[in-house]
Amino acid sequence: MTGDGSARSDAALRLHPLTSLGFNLLAVVAGASLPSAPLVLAVFLGLLVPMAALARRLGAFLRTCARVLWPFVVSLVLIQGFFTPGPSVLFRLGPFNYTLQGLEVALLFSARLLVGLGAATLLMFITRPDALMRALVERGLPNQIAYIVVTTLQIVPTFQARAHAILDAQRSRGLETEGPLPVRLRAFVPLVGPLILSSLMEIEERAIALEARAFNRPGRRTSLVTLADSRLQALARWLMLLAALALIVVRFILWRAP
Amino acid sequence: MESAVIAVSGLRFRYAGAEQDALQGLDLSIGEGELVGVAGANESGKSTLCYALTGYVPHFFSGTLVGSVSIAGHDVTRTPVSLLAADIGLVFHNPFNQISGARTTVLEEVAFGLENLGVEQALLRPRSMQALRATGLDDLADRSPYTLSGGEQQRLAIAAVMAMQPKVLVLDEPTSQLDPAGTRAIFEVLRRLARDGRTTIVLTEHKLGWLAAFVDRLIVLHTGRLVADGPPRDVLAEAVEHTWGVGATRYTRAALAARRQGQLAAGTRLPVTLEQALEVLR
Amino acid sequence: MKLELRDVRFQYPTGVLALDGVSLSIGSGEAVALIGENGAGKTTLAKLLNGLLRPTSGTVLVGEDDTRRHTPAQLSRRVGFVFQNPDDQLFARTVRDEVAFGPRNQRLSSGEVQARVDRALDDVGLRPAIDRHPYDLTAPERKRVALAAALAMHTPALILDEPTIGQDAGGVDRLGALVDGLHAEGRTLIAITHDVDFCLEHFERVVVMAGGRILADGPATEVLKDLERLQQAQVEPPELVQLALGLGWETMPHTPDEFAVLLANHRT
Repeated sequence: MTGDGSARSDAALRLHPLTSLGFNLLAVVAGASLPSAPLVLAVFLGLLVPMAALARRLGAFLRTCARVLWPFVVSLVLIQGFFTPGPSVLFRLGPFNYTLQGLEVALLFSARLLVGLGAATLLMFITRPDALMRALVERGLPNQIAYIVVTTLQIVPTFQARAHAILDAQRSRGLETEGPLPVRLRAFVPLVGPLILSSLMEIEERAIALEARAFNRPGRRTSLVTLADSRLQALARWLMLLAALALIVVRFILWRAP
Repeated sequence: MESAVIAVSGLRFRYAGAEQDALQGLDLSIGEGELVGVAGANESGKSTLCYALTGYVPHFFSGTLVGSVSIAGHDVTRTPVSLLAADIGLVFHNPFNQISGARTTVLEEVAFGLENLGVEQALLRPRSMQALRATGLDDLADRSPYTLSGGEQQRLAIAAVMAMQPKVLVLDEPTSQLDPAGTRAIFEVLRRLARDGRTTIVLTEHKLGWLAAFVDRLIVLHTGRLVADGPPRDVLAEAVEHTWGVGATRYTRAALAARRQGQLAAGTRLPVTLEQALEVLR
Repeated sequence: MKLELRDVRFQYPTGVLALDGVSLSIGSGEAVALIGENGAGKTTLAKLLNGLLRPTSGTVLVGEDDTRRHTPAQLSRRVGFVFQNPDDQLFARTVRDEVAFGPRNQRLSSGEVQARVDRALDDVGLRPAIDRHPYDLTAPERKRVALAAALAMHTPALILDEPTIGQDAGGVDRLGALVDGLHAEGRTLIAITHDVDFCLEHFERVVVMAGGRILADGPATEVLKDLERLQQAQVEPPELVQLALGLGWETMPHTPDEFAVLLANHRT
């Protein structure tokens, strides 16, 4: 979504939604199967980053990845480093040894998280949820399931918008949100409550709204947009599927790494 | 004689687990192209009536329903709601929650219902834009529905259902979030739909002044009963004699105050609009 | 405690200029209504007054304090805000806990908190619902819970964003009586509202906004009969004003009873 609220996805990439879905799934499979941190990182840098750049969302993409990932990386590096036994000790802190093996494990998990998160983020950036829904329905997925997939993907922006309104309301009642970390953490409870409760309340009304738009009507549906596809993309999807299967086979049979 | 598009007989409904009937023995008959207003205090049954006219009661909200409800030729107490949407439209109460969540622009949001109805592709965009123009949202066609203000979301919900061109349109407080200019636009659209489009329209409202000026027929609900049904002036004048909680326009209240202070003859017909008030008080 | 905007400009991050050079001064104990079509900048102005938004340029003062130097939580002790959508704030399991949230943030004794909760719920007519779950109430009732929650904070100033929306005639009357009562207590009241009839009856001063600027600012009876300015702001005059003007009067009544008195005067 661009800054002015318009929702035009970038025209630089006229990818069929299933192609972008396939691409990101391949990245996730590769990230999960490859056995070392540098290889997994290569998936991020070699697949996800160029795609984000092609879609002209590189800056936002990297920022989102960094922002969500850093707390996990920090905790992984600390915990795995101190609590994974291994022969090469890098330094000591009191009774605790920080091992190289621990650091390696931490970096591998971090890289995998990066790829997983990156793929999900990238999918949201380059595919419009409704286009994905149409593509899934075209392929035979029931309307209702496609809807659930699509709205789940949109949860984060929906929550963000509501969270902002909720934050304003609670701050106006004396909830302090600026200042040291404990203060900001304590601010969480009165924020989470309304977010979850009102989202649950919304479900029933949302269901009525969908009925009012004939969502469950049996019969033929038409579509405002025709999804761009090509033989090249169809071929690419098959190749990606093969590559993913190959990776899974190789990982389980040949590499046997954690 | 016009055959009734909306024919309700002996309608009683109690929500599951409730101690009282939400609607108590309603009889209602509305013909094609009528624009009917429904007034009443909160919890008088207005929303329940809207749901009953569109099949959500009893299919969506469980409870016991007695009586017959025939809308646009459908027995809505038996026909599933998903089969009714082509002929019967509902814009319900909460304006913040009628976005489908399945589309990313305002235009697509409006087209969503048409797509579900299987309207031919060539007509999707023109019909959607027409509905957006009618509700003053055409400038916002490319915006994300989530970035709209409450009033804009409310108008979007109206546009989305209007675009489906139902024979019967039921709206529950459709202008609650709108400023006077927005309210006027909606009332004018509805009047046009009723007169030219022959759409049968039922809307609930608290804004009595607008109802008095735009609808030909006003119904009042009080604790689930239909207590008045007729031309707005007659009904609102009668409302003053009862405690239905409907309120009154300032024109009526001014006339009542004048009567109390001996400035207006006791038998004078009470005004509900500006023209009527000027006539009576000059 | 005065509330003041001095030549305030406000631009949202999206680039929309919501306020374009607004100056406004509200004295202690005044009851002011902000009217204007959607998008005129009313809510933005209100949010500047309690520090939720900071001005892009210009100054906003609450009492002697520049809002730039205080958090909204700090300012909330002096300026209460009732939002349009109550579901944005309701999170407690009971109405009691919901209304107590604000006072508890003010670190009052539990006895004092309880007293305030009771009084606030009485003021909005929801005392019987005190132990119910807020989401078991209807939407208009939830709106009244949100109002009670703000009342319980006993702030010297109170901002109400569209308080009459969704209320039936009885609810609007109750709200009117509450507004009159708060005004009599000396609280500063600011209401954003489309209901010009409600405005005329309960607010002594009306500020008309359009396109991010103040178009008119003065006594309700004067501002609400200035048809040209109202037309510019896409606002319709109150019913009583239309009636009085239709009868050729110069002075506008605030209420139906005042109307009847003026009618008698005109006839003699």
